[in-house]
Amino acid sequence: MSTFSGLNTAYTGLTAARRGLDVVGQNIVNANVDGYTRQRVTLSSVPAVGNRFSTGAASGEGVNVDGIARLGNIMLDNQVRSTASAYGFANVRATSFAKLESSLREPGDEGLSARFDAFAGAWQDVANQPGEAAPAAVLINEAKALAGQIATGYNEAVGEWSRVRGDLDGLVAEVNSAAASVAELNAQIRKGTAQGVSVNELVDQRDRLAAGLAELTGASVRSGEDGMIDLVVDGNALVAGAKSSGLVAVGAPSMTGAASAGVHLEWAALPGTIVSTSGEAGGLVSLLASAADGGPIAKAAEQYNALAAKLASSVNELHAAGSTTGGATGLDFFAFTAGAPAATGLTVVPTSAAGIATGVAANGAADGSVAAGIAGLFGQPGSVSKDWSDYVTTFAASSKAATTTAKGAETAASNALGAQAAGASVDMDEENVNLLMYQQAYQASARVLSAVDEALDTLINRTGLVGR
Amino acid sequence: MQRVTNQTMAANAQRNLQASLQQMARLQEQGSSQKRILTPSDDPRGTADVIAIRSQQRAADQYERNIGNGEGWLTTVDTALGNATDILQSTLQRTVQGANDGALSQEAKNALATEIDGLRDALLKEANSTYLGRSVFAGSSNEGKAFAADYAWTGTDGASVERKVADGVTVRVDANGKDAFGEGATSVFALLGGIAADLRAGTPVSGRIDQVQGALDGVIAAHATVGAQHTQLQRAESVLATATVDLEAQRSKAEDIDLAKVILDLNVQSTVYQAALNVTARVLQPSLMDFLR
Repeated sequence: MSTFSGLNTAYTGLTAARRGLDVVGQNIVNANVDGYTRQRVTLSSVPAVGNRFSTGAASGEGVNVDGIARLGNIMLDNQVRSTASAYGFANVRATSFAKLESSLREPGDEGLSARFDAFAGAWQDVANQPGEAAPAAVLINEAKALAGQIATGYNEAVGEWSRVRGDLDGLVAEVNSAAASVAELNAQIRKGTAQGVSVNELVDQRDRLAAGLAELTGASVRSGEDGMIDLVVDGNALVAGAKSSGLVAVGAPSMTGAASAGVHLEWAALPGTIVSTSGEAGGLVSLLASAADGGPIAKAAEQYNALAAKLASSVNELHAAGSTTGGATGLDFFAFTAGAPAATGLTVVPTSAAGIATGVAANGAADGSVAAGIAGLFGQPGSVSKDWSDYVTTFAASSKAATTTAKGAETAASNALGAQAAGASVDMDEENVNLLMYQQAYQASARVLSAVDEALDTLINRTGLVGR
Repeated sequence: MQRVTNQTMAANAQRNLQASLQQMARLQEQGSSQKRILTPSDDPRGTADVIAIRSQQRAADQYERNIGNGEGWLTTVDTALGNATDILQSTLQRTVQGANDGALSQEAKNALATEIDGLRDALLKEANSTYLGRSVFAGSSNEGKAFAADYAWTGTDGASVERKVADGVTVRVDANGKDAFGEGATSVFALLGGIAADLRAGTPVSGRIDQVQGALDGVIAAHATVGAQHTQLQRAESVLATATVDLEAQRSKAEDIDLAKVILDLNVQSTVYQAALNVTARVLQPSLMDFLR
């Protein structure tokens, strides 16, 4: 033990206290940074070093700063990622369901059920006054309004499909760039670790990106070498160490082609293999599925087509059997534009009372029985208007389920985030206490230094002066 | 024990305030729209009820229009048959007068004949009564007149005019002209023409009195039938009026909010929100820094 080792011991104390203060400062200034994980200086005492010139008991050699620890918890981080993935999936679905639901405009006076009733009412007015211009004009307008509303509903479904498709493309771009960033950070972390530099801030950034990717794709994290991580999607690595792979969205760009060319994700490097993901990407892909595969948007559009077809066939069947006041028979009331979906191609054939078949010729020209029969088509079980109200109820139930799932997933995700933040976030009171602690430690170490200094001063300057 | 930090406290406070505010926004929306079901998923089953009830309400509106239209038809028929009864009663009087063979001069008989001709024309006019351009005694025919100049009836048997007044219920709103007035040579018009001709020719008309009485009975019988139809229509109207009130009550129950409850909830929620704000403000404020020099 050297004479001056006391000075060195005090010096290590001063250094440790200063590093402690630095870390407290870093924690405090980053307290509100998203994804920041609190850090601590890890210290250890330096044991006594024996040498052959000194014997007897010796004190330790001071304190050593081992490093700066990042107080994160892998289990909590995993929980955050898995709940984020479930929330991402449920949330995009709930959002889309809500949009489709608002396009139903039910219950209310703007919905299709009101249009069906108005159409049926207009037929009764025509039945009351066959051949008259005024009720015929009202009927034709109501029919056009009904056809228009069916087309609007269909177009809204098509528009929602396109929006979701666009979202998927945007999401894939976001995933690819985030994956590239994770790979880049992995490389920096490997380098930093090799050089012995603290990489805590880089790890924070990377974990934040990984959590984002988990929400987008459901990617799970696998710890790799040298502090790097791999992100795994559907069994394959989205990020493997310092390398990242890209995803592409493949399939029809618009809803009409979705039945033949279903939308899905593929690895850019492996065309033809479908990647099934959870998270937001999984939610979007499930929304884009064809009606046969249970895609809610395509199903909604199909429902409008079915309504248009059933409306036209049921009305035309009775209408063609009746005759106009002028005696013409075999006329259609609704027709379809060739090449267009039934919902948007539905057109009204008659342009005036002369084209509307109102009754049976044998009963006299002013017979309204056919018109009354058509009016009676609506509201009965199995009728087109009942189909619509059944669809609204069914859709509302699915929408409610989607919302409930999303709310549950949101609670789980926010609980997981809360648990993570409880462990990792900065507590000001705690940091203040640490601040005081390190400050006191610094002062005390300085006191030790001056005490040793004074002792040496006594030895060097005041010894050997006896009798002088 | 979970660690509590300023961040977790702030995040919790924010989440709670957000939840509270969302709940308040929902109550406010309900209060201002007065609707319990704002989107179908608020209550899928209730939505089905509301759609069905609203549909019934619109059907009821249509029935009301149908009844109004039927009322017009039946009133026209009613008036026409009432007038026809009066005309035939006058005819009966003239015929009885004309049957006094010994007491009447030929001039007087001629005058009676002219009078009966006039009554016949008036009767024909009643039989050709129209409502909104449609002959009320010609069923679903769209001929301008129910009875042509040769007294031929232009209607078709069985082709009556009906109005739907409730789900599955129709009421006939016209009268069969052939049943009320007969047609062609056997019609009441031909009968009146025959009486006038007999009077002019000096042929005794006492035998015609029973025929006129028979025609009068026919018209009165038709009038009674129309009266029954009218009663049926009026009953349907009063049933519909009750149903309209019931439907509105049902709709309101299914769709509308309980205002008192929503306002109470809103007040409670607003108190909760303010309390949450207050607590948050107190809790987030102090830290150790406030107490260190």
